[in-house]
Amino acid sequence: MSEAVSRVLSPLGKKSNRLVAILSSLILITLITPAQAVDYNSGWDVADSGTEADLFTSTYDGESVFAFGAGGTILQSADKGATWVQLESPSTTDLHASDSVEGAIAVVGLGGAAFLRADSSDTWLDISLNPPVDFRGMAMTSATSLVAVGPEGAIWQYSSDVWMERDSGVVTDLNDVSFLDTTLGMIVGDSGTILATDDGGENWEYREAPEGLVADIVALDYYSEIRIYAVTDEGNIVKSVGMTSGTSAGYVWELVEIESAGRATSLGLELGSIDVSSVNKFLVSGPSGYAALSLDGGNIITSQMNPLPSAKDFNHILFLNLFDAVIVGADGVILFSENAGEDEAVGFQVIDYGDFGQFVEYSKGMLLDGLFATIRIVLFGIVLGFFLGVVLSMMKTAPTTLKDIAQLDRYSIIRIILIPFCIIEAAIPFVRLNEKSWSATRAVGRLRTLSATSTRPLNTLALRTLGLGMLYCGIKFISALVPIVRALNLEGLEYIYAPIGLISPDGINGELYFGNFFQALLGIALILLGLLFLTSREFFVKRELRLSHIWHWNVNFWGVRPLNAVATVYTDLFRNTPLIVQFMFIHFGVQFGKLLGDPAAAFLEGETNFFLVYIRDTILSDRACVSAIFALGLNSGAYQCETIRGAIAAIPSGQMEAGRSIGLNYMQTMGLVIMPQAIRICIPPMGNEMVNLVLNSSLAMVIGYAELTRKGRLINAVTFQLFWGYGMVLVSYFVVTWTLALLLRHLENKSRIPGLGISGGA
Amino acid sequence: MPENVLSVTDMHKIYPGGVHAVRGISFEVNEGESVAIIGSSGSGKSTVLRCINRLIEPTEGVVRLRGEHINTPGADINDVRSRIGMVFQSFELFAHLKVIDNVTLGLRHVRKMSKVEAEEIAMSVLERVDLLDRVDAYPGNLSGGQKQRVAIARALAMRPEVMLFDEPTSALDPELIGSVLATIRGLADEGMTMVIVTHEIGFARDVADRIIYLDEGVVAEDGPSSIIENPRTERLRRFLSSIHEDESPEQIETDVSS
Repeated sequence: MSEAVSRVLSPLGKKSNRLVAILSSLILITLITPAQAVDYNSGWDVADSGTEADLFTSTYDGESVFAFGAGGTILQSADKGATWVQLESPSTTDLHASDSVEGAIAVVGLGGAAFLRADSSDTWLDISLNPPVDFRGMAMTSATSLVAVGPEGAIWQYSSDVWMERDSGVVTDLNDVSFLDTTLGMIVGDSGTILATDDGGENWEYREAPEGLVADIVALDYYSEIRIYAVTDEGNIVKSVGMTSGTSAGYVWELVEIESAGRATSLGLELGSIDVSSVNKFLVSGPSGYAALSLDGGNIITSQMNPLPSAKDFNHILFLNLFDAVIVGADGVILFSENAGEDEAVGFQVIDYGDFGQFVEYSKGMLLDGLFATIRIVLFGIVLGFFLGVVLSMMKTAPTTLKDIAQLDRYSIIRIILIPFCIIEAAIPFVRLNEKSWSATRAVGRLRTLSATSTRPLNTLALRTLGLGMLYCGIKFISALVPIVRALNLEGLEYIYAPIGLISPDGINGELYFGNFFQALLGIALILLGLLFLTSREFFVKRELRLSHIWHWNVNFWGVRPLNAVATVYTDLFRNTPLIVQFMFIHFGVQFGKLLGDPAAAFLEGETNFFLVYIRDTILSDRACVSAIFALGLNSGAYQCETIRGAIAAIPSGQMEAGRSIGLNYMQTMGLVIMPQAIRICIPPMGNEMVNLVLNSSLAMVIGYAELTRKGRLINAVTFQLFWGYGMVLVSYFVVTWTLALLLRHLENKSRIPGLGISGGA
Repeated sequence: MPENVLSVTDMHKIYPGGVHAVRGISFEVNEGESVAIIGSSGSGKSTVLRCINRLIEPTEGVVRLRGEHINTPGADINDVRSRIGMVFQSFELFAHLKVIDNVTLGLRHVRKMSKVEAEEIAMSVLERVDLLDRVDAYPGNLSGGQKQRVAIARALAMRPEVMLFDEPTSALDPELIGSVLATIRGLADEGMTMVIVTHEIGFARDVADRIIYLDEGVVAEDGPSSIIENPRTERLRRFLSSIHEDESPEQIETDVSS
């Protein structure tokens, strides 16, 4: 075997083999050497706050950032956190929570302290509460009203210059409150307490915490109707996702499985603050100088490098917009960032590996997982793609024209056109010719007798009748769709997007109606066919659509090959759109994994066969995996189709004639004569296709499938050894692809037949 | 009166480009008769042959095999083709199959025979074309003459009622023609019904019972092989003299007899 490999590798002989080895190692060494000192900078800058007081909270009114802290400290920054001035404070108590709505700012603190500053005003209105409740959290519902929470279930609502105590129904300490608008709000507290209101804070009802959560929820952000995030003091991230079917977020809560923490539900350190800037992007912070960013809803948490020489407690983290962010903490610490730490090279090593051996030891398990995940989708993708490729290429080369179909004998017409149609429509149960004595065998017998007397093709009259029927059905199909298209409210050019609206008229809350789309296609096809059949003459005289006055364009409709047309539409669709969009469309848009994987897994429930259990538990239960396999397979099928078609075209036409002349039918000739030769010819380009498929599989990371590249990113998110991490991913890909290439080369040599192939035909 | 095996009546073929290749050809082939079709390039010889077993659909006309109308859409074309053996100019052997598998392919998949049965028949026809020693070779390793004899064996294995030869020697080197022609002559002697499209005038005269001369898509002359010596029409005379200029009949004679 090794001899065979080295023979393949060195067509020039042993001497040059050694030369190549020396040269490549030289190149490798020179490539690696300069990459030894990578300087990491933090994405966060230290601002001079001018104070030593602990800062507890910050807020942004759209123009200035405000920070509040111990002893009534109030700081203001007009340049997104870079420089700060201390404002005169109306209070000397610690201020713990602040919020801003419509330019108005409110801040609350210990002993019932509460201050309100109206839009573009410089004075703080003292609205402190008596009795002195130690407020821990506060949210404004309008410029003049707010809700504040404190220990032992205290909820106080301030509106119309009056404080009102609200019944929380719990006695645990409440830590934070957040409002989406003037009515919808949530409160979180110790021991997994979650409360919700839908009337602006008057009445609060209890919500179930996710199973397994007993920690104190310390902060939350009610970001949108479909997303609420919260964090606990034990490092959990909790989220509530709105259902597409109308239920908004806040009812069902779940602990986020953090992929970058080995699928654990906890980061393993205390968190204290969270701020969300888009559906999936948020920053969290915690004591001892921890700050981290997630871009995918908590799947991967990227720790931020701390620019401070010593760890200080971070008390509050705040997004000003999508990128600018501010952290305030103990001892007057203020950090600001212009990119929220998104640039990966600015992070710091949570797990510090100075030694490459340790790093490999740590990451090899993850890489191996990713490798197997990649191989999984690649193998199934290749099988699916090859199957599709063969079928599509056969369809593309099929010589069946409309004329052939029109000239079929009556029996075949019934078989091919009427029976499937009846089954689809189930409106005319053709088998119920004689209802009393119906049985399957009788029906078959009936069809047999029918076939015996129906070996003549349809005459012109019958053909025209058929055409009329087709035209009627086609018009019916299309007219049924007209109201749906009308309801889409499109104008002019916007109609190119009509198919998307047709499939999903109700958007994210509705179902997908692929039937509509196929009905439209079928309707158009039936109308065209019906017109053609209606106007046919006896000998199918070539009818050309001549527009020769404008340009030379002749179309012989009877020469249209329907199978070829279908396959061409398919390949054109998949070859003219980017694969990464196909991945996202198939997984998120169509939800292939859900639509196909779940029912299939349910179907295989209770199977004990080893292979079926593997398919069910490893493939079908992972929606991203199912979607990835189909995206890869469907895409690769389109390309493989063209490759195989090229190979079929390379087989001399005489081979088909020879096969037919000894009495094989078309499919037999394709299967026994053409395909075996075509597949041999197209092994080299197919190898190319398959290598491409392996490399394209890395795009599965965009749909959250944990394959090799994604694992590499995870390793880097934790270690920040970027050269090592991505380098090892590259090597892993190379091993897989190169093995595949060698295998195909071996297969090519093995299946070579004298006289067949590049060196000429037989 | 010998039985009429194949009859072609008023056949026309107009190609999609508008070329009218065959313009109303009619002829009959009787049991055991071998008919040679000669004519210059483009006279429609190959088209006629392909129209008979419908590798090309004739535009008009009726083809009958033992009285059965075979070019209607209702006819079982695969059955019809299996009863008509065809040998091509460029052999068209299945390059991925061994000689024996080339011969048994039709038997096994059209006649639905078992492998053993099919190979028995294949060995007997391969013996007839004198290729028993090459049964396990791939077509790529055979000489041109051997390939053409495998192609003949492949057609013969189906026990056809009539054999069609489409210029069986045109793609062969002169020194390889002899063995193929000898095989065909042997078939003729055994009483196989044959239609041979050929450029080998000497061979046609020698083997064929009848000669049909096509010119510009019509039958210009139809008669016994003696018309080669005594053409009845000026067109055939001119055709023959143009051929004899670059190929002497004596040379062909020696090839055939070798």
